Amino acid sequence: MSGASQLTEYLARLASADEAERSYAAEDLGYLNTSEGTLALLDRLRREDSPVVRDAILQALSRIDGDEAIAGTIPLFESEDPQLRNLAVSVLRLKGGRSIPFLKKAMLEGDHDTRKLALDALSGMPAMGAEEIYAAALADEDPNVRITAVENLGKVRALEFREEIEGLLKDDAHPMLTAACLEALAEIGDKHSLVVIAQRLPQLADLPDFFLNPCLKVIAAFGSAGEFPEVAALLAKRAQAVWPAILNALLAIQQRCLGEDAASLEMDEPLLADLRNLIETHNPAPCRYQAARLLGFAAERDEIAAFLVGCLTHPERLVRLGAAEALQSSARPKLDSVLGDLELKKHEGDIR
Amino acid sequence: MADLSIEQFQKLNQQIYLKLGLHFDEKKIYFMKSRVAKRMAALGLTETQDYIFRLSYADPQGAEMQELANLITTNETYMFREYEQLQAFANYCLPEVLSAKQARGEKVLRIWSAGCSSGEEPYTLAMIVQEVFPQVQNWDCEIVATDIDENMLKRVAAARYGERSVHDVPEEIRGKYLTRSGLEYVVRPRTAALVKPMHLNLHDRMAMRLMRAFDFIFCRNVLIYFDDLSRKAVVDQFYNSLNRGGFVFLGHSESVGRVTPAFRLKRLEGHLVYVKD
Repeated sequence: MSGASQLTEYLARLASADEAERSYAAEDLGYLNTSEGTLALLDRLRREDSPVVRDAILQALSRIDGDEAIAGTIPLFESEDPQLRNLAVSVLRLKGGRSIPFLKKAMLEGDHDTRKLALDALSGMPAMGAEEIYAAALADEDPNVRITAVENLGKVRALEFREEIEGLLKDDAHPMLTAACLEALAEIGDKHSLVVIAQRLPQLADLPDFFLNPCLKVIAAFGSAGEFPEVAALLAKRAQAVWPAILNALLAIQQRCLGEDAASLEMDEPLLADLRNLIETHNPAPCRYQAARLLGFAAERDEIAAFLVGCLTHPERLVRLGAAEALQSSARPKLDSVLGDLELKKHEGDIR
Repeated sequence: MADLSIEQFQKLNQQIYLKLGLHFDEKKIYFMKSRVAKRMAALGLTETQDYIFRLSYADPQGAEMQELANLITTNETYMFREYEQLQAFANYCLPEVLSAKQARGEKVLRIWSAGCSSGEEPYTLAMIVQEVFPQVQNWDCEIVATDIDENMLKRVAAARYGERSVHDVPEEIRGKYLTRSGLEYVVRPRTAALVKPMHLNLHDRMAMRLMRAFDFIFCRNVLIYFDDLSRKAVVDQFYNSLNRGGFVFLGHSESVGRVTPAFRLKRLEGHLVYVKD
């Protein structure tokens, strides 16, 4: 069948009363990949009630090579129908870099909702080629637009925007923007970012959870022995919701600074007691696992080593595994015989 | 072994759920860490953060996600697998469909087991249908068992299984629908006759369009091995293949709603099922 006759057939089926037939027609027009088909699909989309057929039309548009498919999808950002807006974002995302010139236009000319959706369409795409869009977005008057831009850049590790994002951490910054900047800096920051953050948010203990969590992520990524005591002190003061972030940061610092002769890395009695208590009381298993691993950095102390050996028969499997890892990474002698006595290697397949 | 923080585990879980539809409980952190470590070693990566980034934003064809999927999923198949889901089918969905058909005077029941492998699933469905609705013998009932692998389809046609395939079949069901033949179990002819093996590639959109008018579609633990676009295309096709009021069943940890909003989520006495309105 020639292309022209196929087009005629598909256009006829696109008007079928049967929902499945309209879906198939849309799919076929997508594979046919013509301008006429694109126009017909866009026209049908405006009138189509079935969410299934709409979805099929937008999938078809994502397959069509021509610019009309992209240009025709952008106006859907202004639709009252959330399904159409979301589908438009999905299609443009699938188009990848080819959609950037059109998204730039939307960014420069659209209202705040359109600008935000344009950034949603860029989510996950490398920032290369979209620098102008992001430069505009980071200076946008709408906080939602700025937040979305920062989130996008953090996700794709756009290191070239680090300074701009650090610059957004101002006293008058919207709290959600501050949180987004912190999250992004956990991906693209460096040691200087910690200095910037400390200037803006000097006391970790005073921070609400939605700031503390991302701060701790940045500390986990770039922190050193200097940050250890302040983070360690948080464990006793803060609620369970932030324990994972605290423990992650402490573990990351210990692992990064292993071998440094830093007094500040020493785990004091209150911290050791907090970690043991965390393991012994009914707490989320992953936290108990991390706490056991952290105790490994103090396993040169006999009472800590004994506690960890005791954990090797704990009813919670993650505690057993954490203790085994902690003891394996410690310098304790005769560990193999200890594990051997417990026949751990036989029963815990994950322990090597 | 490279470290996997709680936060990294959560990010990984999110990506695995987005791309494979699988969710791992927080207690699986060690399990995930060891599997990720294997993939990192294979890729020559030393930082877990780099691996997560690669998986999330630098895996356009989904190849790395597939490698990880092979390590975190099991390919085992046996009869009455995912029993809770089959209970929902047997106790609620099947009676609902049958009752609606009886009210309309229809006597046709069609079930599709998509990606049937060696046939344990379609024969399980056949046993359940006969158990719940013995009158099915007087109906036009067909369980279409499709797979891309011709060797698997030969095993479906043979209808002979070892102990491993039947270990979860309730004793009373085993006696009724299977017969012992040496070390194997053979599906009784009356039950086997309900199942029709058929070659089908779920990626073949033209062949898929011919699959119409089903009341139930089972496609469990198959689509996790598909990329996002293919998975969506298949589930969209399932919608068109179903009659109104028909149900689709993916694996118990796979979410239909995540792939398409076309189906309605229905709660039936603690079970969540997806129906075409």
